Amino acid sequence: MTDPAARPTGEYPELKWHERLNVLNVSLLIFLVAVVLSSPVVKGSGRDLDYLGNFIRFAGNFFPPDFSAQVVGVTLLALLETIQMAVMATFFAVILSFPLAAAGAQTVSPKWLVIVARMIMNMIRTVPSLIWALIAVAVVGANSLAGVVALTFYSMGYLGKFFSDAFESVDVEVAKSLRAIGADPLQAFQHGMWPHAKPLVWSYSLWMLEYNIRSAAIVGIVGAGGIGVQLFFYQDYGMWDRFATVLIFILVLVTVLDFLGEWIRKKVTNRTNRPALMG
Amino acid sequence: MVTLNTKNVSGGTSPDNRKAAAEAADATGNEAPHLSVRNLGIRRGGRWLVRNLDLDVPRGSFLAVVGPSGVGKSSLLACLAGILKPTEGEVKYRCTEGCLHAPQDFRRRTGIIFQNFMLTPNNTVLSNVLCGRMGRYSGLRTLFGFPKSDRREAYAILDDLGLGGYLHRWAVEISGGEQQRTAIARALFQQPELFLADEPVSNLDGYFSGRVLGILRQEASVRRRSVFCVLHNPEFVARFADKALSLDPLNPEGWRLRDVR
Repeated sequence: MTDPAARPTGEYPELKWHERLNVLNVSLLIFLVAVVLSSPVVKGSGRDLDYLGNFIRFAGNFFPPDFSAQVVGVTLLALLETIQMAVMATFFAVILSFPLAAAGAQTVSPKWLVIVARMIMNMIRTVPSLIWALIAVAVVGANSLAGVVALTFYSMGYLGKFFSDAFESVDVEVAKSLRAIGADPLQAFQHGMWPHAKPLVWSYSLWMLEYNIRSAAIVGIVGAGGIGVQLFFYQDYGMWDRFATVLIFILVLVTVLDFLGEWIRKKVTNRTNRPALMG
Repeated sequence: MVTLNTKNVSGGTSPDNRKAAAEAADATGNEAPHLSVRNLGIRRGGRWLVRNLDLDVPRGSFLAVVGPSGVGKSSLLACLAGILKPTEGEVKYRCTEGCLHAPQDFRRRTGIIFQNFMLTPNNTVLSNVLCGRMGRYSGLRTLFGFPKSDRREAYAILDDLGLGGYLHRWAVEISGGEQQRTAIARALFQQPELFLADEPVSNLDGYFSGRVLGILRQEASVRRRSVFCVLHNPEFVARFADKALSLDPLNPEGWRLRDVR
């Protein structure tokens, strides 16, 4: 009642110019300025090229894709290796992520440890998977092990963060209540917290597997095994019809995975997305 | 304001209440009390909820805790359960062998029916009930499941409470009343010496309210387990309880213990 803003003044409250400067407006303005300043990069080489003609000629090399038994056989084998790399990398990453995630969860660890763990995970995530692959190839040589090592490190940065978020989202009251009726700490965790975290942890792991299969198709370009090696080889020798075959196989695999992963993850987590248990 | 003063007279330290407490101890002969509360005071949020509470509760009695919302009934139960530390005074349990225990050391033998159930939402109804007996086994023993006999026993209790068909559903997937019955089943399955029940029938219909309170009544009379039960319905208090402890919202020392039967 005593708040002056609540008293009628009869005057339309016009906003002053500086009152309109919220973060959205200011950042939008900065972005528009950046667009103007960045325009030189779209000039290209400056020569008068026939863009459409170039594209048609290049894309024409892809057709018809080479579906000969030899190419398909090699591609399928490489595809299998790609999936295997992703499976192993996801497996190792899930295991290694648990301690990292526990260290990074505010409900489990002291503050200094949370900061350190989160910083490590951020740093791991900042490095692209291709760079991890370069490092791994330098360390273990150009083979599929390099791919597994690279993807393991890369996934740890993601899974560590996801898992610690999952741990933090769990209501600790139930675990405390179980302690009050005689449970020991292990039992309170296993029966009070883990059932809640489990679907999230599994759903994130599946997502990571999906993601790793995609990445595994790329890391071969620097020699870390999988179908990327094939891709790089055909590109190097200009065998575009075979290149197209490999691309088609990758496309099919990724699309199927996308649908399958989405479906499973929904099934796993939507039982938990019901209205809250406690009023 | 006048009523406040009159209630003050019948406060915690008055001879009236001391007598009632002594009577409670004598109700089942000269046996040492199951629970002794001495000079208990609970202060929360800057005000006293209860002060100078003295209780001697004999084994096998059903004590109803009554009073308006926010008066401190749940805090009192939390104190008795050892979840909340009393601001002053002490709570002691006497085990069957006769030695005295603090509530924290009595957890295995204390079955709690929480007001908000405290079930694990993403765990099955059966697993939630099995959790009642975790105090009996080590964490390593239960890591890969409970004994089969325990699972059958838990099923029998759930079936009795009309939940036999929900055994493998998640707690979050059943209704509020069904969750409350699951929480009750967990406490019954635990076979504790003492039940602390915070409004255990708040979400139940007339039929199941009567069933559940009847079961608790029987646990007290037949198996000599003590029951502390927060109840709002005076009809239930009259039908099932031996004694009623009423807390006064205006005067923390104005608690009264009265005979119901």
